[in-house]
Amino acid sequence: MPRKRHIMGLFKNEDNVVSAINGLKQSSYEFIRVNTPIPSHKIMDALKLKKSMVGWFTLCGGILGFIGGFALAIFTATRWNLIVSGKPIIAIIPFVIVGFEATILFSVFGNVIGLLTQTRLPSYKWLKYYDPRCSGEHFGVLAACEVGQEDRLKDFFQKQGAEVRVFEQYKESPQP
Amino acid sequence: MTNDNTKTMVIEKSKTSWVFLIFVAIGVVTFIFGLTSEHPERAWQAYLINFLLWSAIAQGAVLFSAVMHMTNARWSGPLSGLSESFTAFFPLSFILFLLLFIGRTHIFPWLQEDLHGKEVWLNIPFLFWRDFFGLLILYLLGFAYLFNALQLKYDPNQPMGEIRKYIYNAWKQNHLKPERIKSRMTVWGGLYILAFALVLSLIGFDLVMSMDPHWISTLFGAYHFVKSFFVGLGALIILAAIIRIKQGEASGIKTNHFHDIGKLFFGFCLLWADFFYVQLMVIYYGNIPEETHYVIVRTMLAPWNKLAWTVFIVCFIGPFFILLNQRIKTKPVLMLTICSVVIVGIWLEHLLLLGPALSHETQAIPLSLSDGLISLGFLGLMAIAVGYFLKVFPETIPVKESN
Repeated sequence: MPRKRHIMGLFKNEDNVVSAINGLKQSSYEFIRVNTPIPSHKIMDALKLKKSMVGWFTLCGGILGFIGGFALAIFTATRWNLIVSGKPIIAIIPFVIVGFEATILFSVFGNVIGLLTQTRLPSYKWLKYYDPRCSGEHFGVLAACEVGQEDRLKDFFQKQGAEVRVFEQYKESPQP
Repeated sequence: MTNDNTKTMVIEKSKTSWVFLIFVAIGVVTFIFGLTSEHPERAWQAYLINFLLWSAIAQGAVLFSAVMHMTNARWSGPLSGLSESFTAFFPLSFILFLLLFIGRTHIFPWLQEDLHGKEVWLNIPFLFWRDFFGLLILYLLGFAYLFNALQLKYDPNQPMGEIRKYIYNAWKQNHLKPERIKSRMTVWGGLYILAFALVLSLIGFDLVMSMDPHWISTLFGAYHFVKSFFVGLGALIILAAIIRIKQGEASGIKTNHFHDIGKLFFGFCLLWADFFYVQLMVIYYGNIPEETHYVIVRTMLAPWNKLAWTVFIVCFIGPFFILLNQRIKTKPVLMLTICSVVIVGIWLEHLLLLGPALSHETQAIPLSLSDGLISLGFLGLMAIAVGYFLKVFPETIPVKESN
């Protein structure tokens, strides 16, 4: 398999990033990712990401918590069977509070687990294809191309109005 | 903006407004027929429920715009202006309140009762005067807010009617800069929000809670105004959905707007249920007979218990599970349906709160066709009022140039 060359276009303008993303997606180059210093709806829309699965983790956590909260309250109440001020042992109305709190708590747990598993962090693999300017005032669009196409990809980025950063040098031997 | 666009912007075409006029006529005829029948109290009950519901819708919808302005929110976009169109119902609501005075003997069951010292608060002159001034202040603040809010949107190229000319001249005398107008909006909007909470609490205590004069819940006022904002949002979504369906993309109301206001609606669905639960919880734990009888009659004994479950499912459980889904919130047709169902649910909830006190010892829930027809009349009034507003101020719906 031929090694790929990674090239990053550094943009100062959000709209140029969007047009670069659209251009890359239509081209034969491999579009990898965007580093952006600010959250941007325009870029998010252009990326057309798949819907995140995190919501399902939250929902499952919530359902588990709801059942768990009620189960906890009912189980502990039946251990003692104390009738307090004429209320039934299993008093559903006040147990809603425990159920509700547990729903929220376990939704949060589910959400955090979802985030940890779905964001694929930590990713050391892409650290070397990072430019510190992306934490400053630039948007970085990372793309890869086959060996020999570097100039055309650089050209592409420059036409879109970007500064270009090439990660692998031309004659460099492949590193593990 | 071209002339063609202006023409398409007129929402209530003459035909539709005729339909709504017929609705109003049906409502009025049914109401008068009910008054002359053996049970005039049934007609007044339907009247009171509808007065409360439709006024709450108008007040709650206008609150949306005020809240959006006060919080500096940008996401609402055209929805904010749209919600101001509900101010057109304020004068009608005020007249409807005055008419309530005629039916006072039928709607206040405590008139013949011994109130054990509560007469100081619960007597007809004081009740009507305080509610009269409360509503007057609330509506005047609403109009003051609207007067400034409209100024920012005003498009002088639209055809001038009498009202437009009058308002335009009033603005001209002021010569205000947009910043000044915005700061005035902040003042009036803030006062409107405050008045909304206070006056709707008062209305909740006086016209809903007092029907059972020996029962008290301090939270009832807050419950009433949260519910009002809930139905207000519902009505706003319905209006936005109708405009979106009729005009498509040109209306400027995007999928995102529906998603965002759907989330707010969902939030207030939860808040309404929360306020309901918080009251129930305290009454349940306190277990004082004066308080519990109110809940027992409505939620545990036939025939009202079925209605209570219907209300709970229609207004909370149903919307809760349906609105969890993101895609449903973005579909105008579905949101239109859900919000309509919720508003019907809140109508039934008013019946649940008022019914047991107004019709003692009934074997069946006092609900018949005449209630539906009277409600239809109120729906007609609301539609005509909002439609009239949108006709006079077509810039409320920002139609984008789509050439």
